[in-house]
Amino acid sequence: MNLTHLRKIRIVVSLIIFTFLLLFFLNIHGKVIDPVAEFFLRLQFFPSILRLTALTFAISSLGFLVVLLLTFLFGRVYCSSICPMGTLQDIFIAIARKFKSRKRRRFVYTPNKKLILRYSILSATLLFWIFGSLFLLNLLDPYSNFGKISVTLVQPVFTKGVNTLSALLERMDLYILAPMLRQSLPRDVIAVSVGIFGVIFVLSIWRGRLFCNSLCPVGSVLGLVSSRSVYRIAFQDEACTFCGKCERVCKAECLDSKNKVVDHGRCISCFNCFDSCSNNGLYYENMLGSRKAIPVKSTENKVEGGKRAFLLTMAGGLLSVPVLKKFAKAQVAASEPGMIPTGTSLPVLPPGSVGYDHFTNKCIACYLCVGACPTNVIVPSFFDYGLEGFMQPKLDYHKSFCNFDCVRCTEVCPTGAIKKLDRDTKRITQIGIARFMYESCIVTVDRTDCGACSEHCPTKAVTMVPYNGLWLPEVEPDLCIGCGACEYACPTEPYKAIYVESNRVHKLATPLPEDEGPRDHDQDEFPF
Amino acid sequence: MDRRDFIRKSFLYGAVTGLGAASIGSLTPAFAGLRPNNVKGNYDLVAVRGNNLVAMFDRAMREMGGMSQWVKAGQTVIVKPNIGWDVVPERAANTNPELVAAVVRHCLEAGASRVTVFDHTCDNWQRSYRNSGIEAAARDAGARIVPGNFERNYRDVTIPGAVRLTEAKVHEQIMDNDVFINVPVLKHHSSTTLTIAMKNLMGIVWDRRFWHRNDLHQCIADFCLYRKPDLNIVDGMLVMTRNGPRGTSTADLVRKNSLLVSSDVVAVDAASALIFGEQPQNVGYMRIAQEMGIGSLDLSQLNIQRVNM
Repeated sequence: MNLTHLRKIRIVVSLIIFTFLLLFFLNIHGKVIDPVAEFFLRLQFFPSILRLTALTFAISSLGFLVVLLLTFLFGRVYCSSICPMGTLQDIFIAIARKFKSRKRRRFVYTPNKKLILRYSILSATLLFWIFGSLFLLNLLDPYSNFGKISVTLVQPVFTKGVNTLSALLERMDLYILAPMLRQSLPRDVIAVSVGIFGVIFVLSIWRGRLFCNSLCPVGSVLGLVSSRSVYRIAFQDEACTFCGKCERVCKAECLDSKNKVVDHGRCISCFNCFDSCSNNGLYYENMLGSRKAIPVKSTENKVEGGKRAFLLTMAGGLLSVPVLKKFAKAQVAASEPGMIPTGTSLPVLPPGSVGYDHFTNKCIACYLCVGACPTNVIVPSFFDYGLEGFMQPKLDYHKSFCNFDCVRCTEVCPTGAIKKLDRDTKRITQIGIARFMYESCIVTVDRTDCGACSEHCPTKAVTMVPYNGLWLPEVEPDLCIGCGACEYACPTEPYKAIYVESNRVHKLATPLPEDEGPRDHDQDEFPF
Repeated sequence: MDRRDFIRKSFLYGAVTGLGAASIGSLTPAFAGLRPNNVKGNYDLVAVRGNNLVAMFDRAMREMGGMSQWVKAGQTVIVKPNIGWDVVPERAANTNPELVAAVVRHCLEAGASRVTVFDHTCDNWQRSYRNSGIEAAARDAGARIVPGNFERNYRDVTIPGAVRLTEAKVHEQIMDNDVFINVPVLKHHSSTTLTIAMKNLMGIVWDRRFWHRNDLHQCIADFCLYRKPDLNIVDGMLVMTRNGPRGTSTADLVRKNSLLVSSDVVAVDAASALIFGEQPQNVGYMRIAQEMGIGSLDLSQLNIQRVNM
């Protein structure tokens, strides 16, 4: 096979995966997009590992093994093709090229001297994870950040575009494009997304895939594998003319054309180098079959250094366990009696998320559920869960409520933070319980009927009972599933007279009566 | 509305009023004197009992003198069913989709140039439109479906004579169409006891919370001063007698097997209340509507056609 084809294949594959995932994040779904996008989701590295921890064992959770195997065979093709954030960076790089002078376009090999930094970041990320906080993972994981950018930055623009177009068509009396509900996103969350976007953008146009080889936890993990992969890019001594073209197109800056050395820990297998060489000076070497691995040897030394750094920082991190443990404890101690925050201070979790601990330990904050929720009730939080659940989504009943029959978020969640629910189970999954504030209610204060809460209640956990010639809300907690329809509908301001108190651990509510069918009518004649 | 449009509409309105008055005059001379001016059709109210809702509607309209009493050739019609909830037709929380389709067909047969269907839903609008069966049924019958859950489609109006609801934002489709047909479903309602025709008009305004905050019953009555529907068609087939307005199961329903048609929104509410088994005077907004002179709850003064099928 002609190796120059590899780059083209990589570009096509990466764009396909990128497009499907972006469409899925923008909530454009259908019979073709859904299964394909879901397949690509399963291959996302950390979501897949989280999924394995969340769903005990499922074939669909083994995507990360596929990725590890691919990496072991061919190097970090994950980073060049499967990771949507990688492709996004490639798009930035490609665009930036158009504005750069010939000289500025060039990449230059940089010796990797900061391994200790890279693996310290990975160790810290993993240590946080082990001690119950996905804070660093959710801040650094490329898939998570791709999701954050898609949902909090791209989707609002997309929605605005659709709605503008839809309004224009309406003016021409064409009702062919349905408008979309606008997502209301917290400013601090948008600010973080803009920050992440900015960092990735700047790093990529400045130094190519620097993010992938410094901050990215997936890149760091796969780097440990790719340095020992079966197929590695290597120089063909006889053919290479030291022209340096390959080095100039190497986005990972891992190709030393002067010494004919490739740092396979950093190589993202983009195959640009094959394409750039007019002399077949590079080839994909099968290390199992070949014994002349001279250039690789010096790379291995570097990688050994990486491994050492990793082990060292992990060890250092473990020594700080008592400190971290104390820190982690402070965050989760609320499970002890009398320390659970009351009111709405504990965020309401999506149905299927089992409970506070399960959710905060599994959610990678990619916001796929946020984008997919048809009622827009799922919104990103900021510090609502504390540091341990930084930016993870929650339900906001001020803007909307959870549709009784909808299980969309449970279908899309890639990590199992929101476990799949069938409709019948969802209907009785109690994520919180409505609390009625007698002193705030229109009925008791203004002495007029209202009942918006009971009207919207799908289980009639909120009923209206006689009260001085009026009807007053009353909550039957066992029937309540905490969907927030009452809280959303309640017209009092600024505080609602009925609100949902989150269940720290989700429970099951009393099921609704069976559909026994209508009763027969009791009148034979017109009553007038 | 440009000038030509204005002239065309004024002409049509004039023609409709004239023709309506003429037909009333010719067909029911004995009762013409008692009828409010806006009431068209052979009767003030037609009530049908039977087992086939669509056949009952056909019969009711035949008794009334046909949809052409309300809809003239070339006119545009807005049909407003209750599509409030994301539930299946069997649960009767929304208007029966077949009835909505039949209304659309009658309008088109009367020569309507365009029939539009919408509601400002309570549950997610796309799910409600779809799962109520109304979107598909109305579309198949030839109507177009437009969204009602976007503020940009609402315009400010003032309501002269209103006690609490002196202004509101009303859906543009109510203003931009010639004929307004209200197709509610008769249901129990947790806060207003009943929801029928008057209450169904909450689905054409933007800010319903204002109503709930400012004496709900008064606001429902007030809004009738803005615009009464030209025709009200009440689905009383499967009646939710408890746990309304959303209901929790089909066990909440009773087969009342009724359909009511009237130009008078208050009268049709009063009659429907009786079918439900409630005295209209006991329903706050009906009592207020009568006190404000919006309509009468006294059915004995009306020319009612009762049909058992």
